[in-house]
Amino acid sequence: MIHKRLGPIARRQLLRRDLLKGAAGFAGAGVLAGTFPRLAAAQSGEWTLAISMRSLANPYHATFAAGGEAYAESVGAPFEVLITEGNSEKGMADIRALLARTGGKLVLNVDPNDSPDARVIVEECQRAGAYVVTQWNKPDDLHPWDFDPNYVAHMSFDGVPTAQAVAEALFEAMGGEGGIVALGGILSNVPAIERKIGLDNAIAATNGKVQLLDFQPADWNETRAFEIMQAWLTRFGDDIKGVFAANDGMAIGALEALRQEGKAGAVPVTGIDGIEAALFAIEAGEMAGTVAWDPNWTGGIGLALGHAVALGEIDIAAEPHEHREFYGTGIVVTPANLAEYRAMDAALDFGDFWGKSPGQIQYRG
Amino acid sequence: MASGSLAGQRNRFARWRGLAPVGVLVLLCVVITVISPNFLSFSNLVRLLSGAAIPLVLVMGATFVILMGSIDLSVEGVVALAAVITSMLVLNDFTSADLGLLAVPVAVVAGGCIGFVNGFVHVRLKIPSFMATLGFGFAGVGVATAILGGFTVRIADRGFRELALGRFLDVPFSVWLAGMAVLVAWVIQERTRLGRWVYAIGTDEVTAKHAGVPVERTRILVFTLAGLFYGLGGALAAAQLGQGHALMGTGRLFTTITAVVVGGTALSGGVGSVLNSVIGVGIVIVLTNGMVLMGIPPYVQQGVQGLMIIVAVALALDRSRLVVVK
Repeated sequence: MIHKRLGPIARRQLLRRDLLKGAAGFAGAGVLAGTFPRLAAAQSGEWTLAISMRSLANPYHATFAAGGEAYAESVGAPFEVLITEGNSEKGMADIRALLARTGGKLVLNVDPNDSPDARVIVEECQRAGAYVVTQWNKPDDLHPWDFDPNYVAHMSFDGVPTAQAVAEALFEAMGGEGGIVALGGILSNVPAIERKIGLDNAIAATNGKVQLLDFQPADWNETRAFEIMQAWLTRFGDDIKGVFAANDGMAIGALEALRQEGKAGAVPVTGIDGIEAALFAIEAGEMAGTVAWDPNWTGGIGLALGHAVALGEIDIAAEPHEHREFYGTGIVVTPANLAEYRAMDAALDFGDFWGKSPGQIQYRG
Repeated sequence: MASGSLAGQRNRFARWRGLAPVGVLVLLCVVITVISPNFLSFSNLVRLLSGAAIPLVLVMGATFVILMGSIDLSVEGVVALAAVITSMLVLNDFTSADLGLLAVPVAVVAGGCIGFVNGFVHVRLKIPSFMATLGFGFAGVGVATAILGGFTVRIADRGFRELALGRFLDVPFSVWLAGMAVLVAWVIQERTRLGRWVYAIGTDEVTAKHAGVPVERTRILVFTLAGLFYGLGGALAAAQLGQGHALMGTGRLFTTITAVVVGGTALSGGVGSVLNSVIGVGIVIVLTNGMVLMGIPPYVQQGVQGLMIIVAVALALDRSRLVVVK
C-alpha cells in the first residue's frame, strides 16, 4: 500500500493529514481490490460496500472515498472503489459488473458522473436487489420513494446559503465595507450558479457597504485565477478590499498572485471546499475562510445508511421525505473555529444519519 | 507581365506577412492602453511578464515539435508530474526531502524522460505523435494521481519559492529564467544542426531523409527537448503556486498550442520560429490581461479569444504553398 511506503517519511502529525494519508494509500488498495474479486465475501453472504465517483485526482473525491473506507473498516465489511474517470459508460459498466459479482448483495454510495446516470444506476440496483445512495447529481424528477426500498436516499449540498455564509465571513474580515472582486466557476455548472447567487445575496444584504468591483469566471482553475487576479490588481489596485472565490483552488491562485505583490494576508481571501491548502492558508492568516463539505462524512454516512437498510435495521420506506432527499451541511471554517473544525473532523459518528442535515432538498426551477 | 506583377505583389505581402503577429500584438497594446491607460504602467508590465514566464518556457518546447510538423499534447501531464516531483523534493509537508533548488534539474530531467518516451514510441512504433503524446500526457496525470492519491503537496521551502517571488531588477527570477530558456531555444534553432534538421523535416520529410538528415533520431531528440522545457515549466508552476498536485497542468495545453499558432508557426510544419512563439505568448497574455482591464463581459471574452486566434492565423498564413487544406 502506498501509504505504508509514504508513512515513515511523513512528518506532519495532524489528525486530518493522517486521514488524508490513509486515503492516499487506499488509492492503491482500491485498484487491487478491483483486480482481484472478493469471491469469499459474496459466498459468506456479507454485504459488499462500494463507492463510485469521478476520480481520485481531486481532494474532495479522495476524501469521500476515505470516509467510505473508514465506515467499511469500522464494521469489517468488504469495500470497493469504482472510478468513472468522467466516463458515464465506464461508471455504469463497473457497477453492473460489481452487482453481478456480489449477486446483488451490494450497498452503493455513488456520485453519478452525470445526472441522467442516476436513473440507470438506481434501476439496475433495484433489479439486482442492491441498496443505493446517490450524491449531488440526479434528475429532479427521480425520487428515492419511487424505488422503495432499494433507492435509499439522495444527498446534496445547497450552494446558496453556504456561499452567502462564507461571503459574510469575508465581509467581516474586511471590516464590513469596501470593494471586492469575485472569481466564479464554469458558468453553466449548478454549484457555480448557486454560489454566485449566495454571494449576490450577501452583497445585497450589506445595503451598498460592500460593492462587487468585478466578477470573472476562472473555470475552477487556479492558474486562470492567478492571471485574472493580476489584471485586477492593475485595474483596481488598492480598491480591492477582499477576494471571493467560488472554490479553494481559485482562492489559492488569487492568494499567490497577491503574494507576488507582497499583499498575501493584507487582502482577505475566501474559498469554498475546505481543501487542505486552504485550511493551512487560514491558519497562516492569509485566507479569511472556506466552506468544508465534509466529504469524509458523506462518504461514510451514505454507506452506513444503506448498510443499515440492507441489514433491516431501518425501514426506509417508512421514513419521511426529508430523510430520503437531504442536504449535508457545509461548515464555514474561519480562523476563529479552525481548531474546533479539525478536532471535529477526526471524530466521525456514523450512527447519526440525519443529525447533520439542515433539511430536505429544494428544487430551484 | 500581369503574372510578374502578381508575383511581385505576393512577395511584398510575404514580407509583410512575417510581421503580422507583431502587428497584432502592437495593435492590441494600443487599443488596450487607450481604453485602460494602466495597462502600460510598470507594475502591470511586470505582472504580464510574470504571467508569461511559464507559457514562454512551455512554448519553447512545443515550437520545435510543431516546426517538425508533429504535435505534442503531453504538456499538461508533464507539467503536472514535474510539479508534483518538484514539490515532493523541496521542503514540504508530504515527504522529508529538502533538496531546495536541486529539485529543479530533477524535474527538468523527469520531463525530458517523458519526452524521450514520447519520441521513442512515436518513431519506433510509428504511432502518430498526436496519439502517443496524448497517451503519455494522460499517463503523466495518472502517475501524479497515484503518487498523491488526489491530495496536494504544500511547499514550505521559502528559498525555492523565491524562483517566483524573488526579484532581480524588479523582475521575478522566473522571468529571467524564461528569458534564458528562450535564448537556449533560439541558439538551438539558429546555431545547431538540430535546428536546421527540424526545419528540413517540417518542410519535406522525404527530401530531408534523402539528403541524409537522421530523421528518426532528430524526432526523438526534439520530443526529449520539449519534455525538458515542460519539466522546467512544471517546476516553475510549483514555485508560483506553492504546491504540487495532479491537476497542476490544467489549461496549459490550450495556451501553449494557441500561442505557437497565433505567433505564426504553421501546424503543417517548416514555417515559424521560437521568436514567433514569443510574440504568440505576448498576444495570448496581453489579451487575457487586457480583457479584464477593459472590463469586457466574461460571456464575450471567450468569443474574442476565438476570433483573435482566427484573425492572427489568417494574417500569418502563407497560402501560396498550400495545395490542399485539411
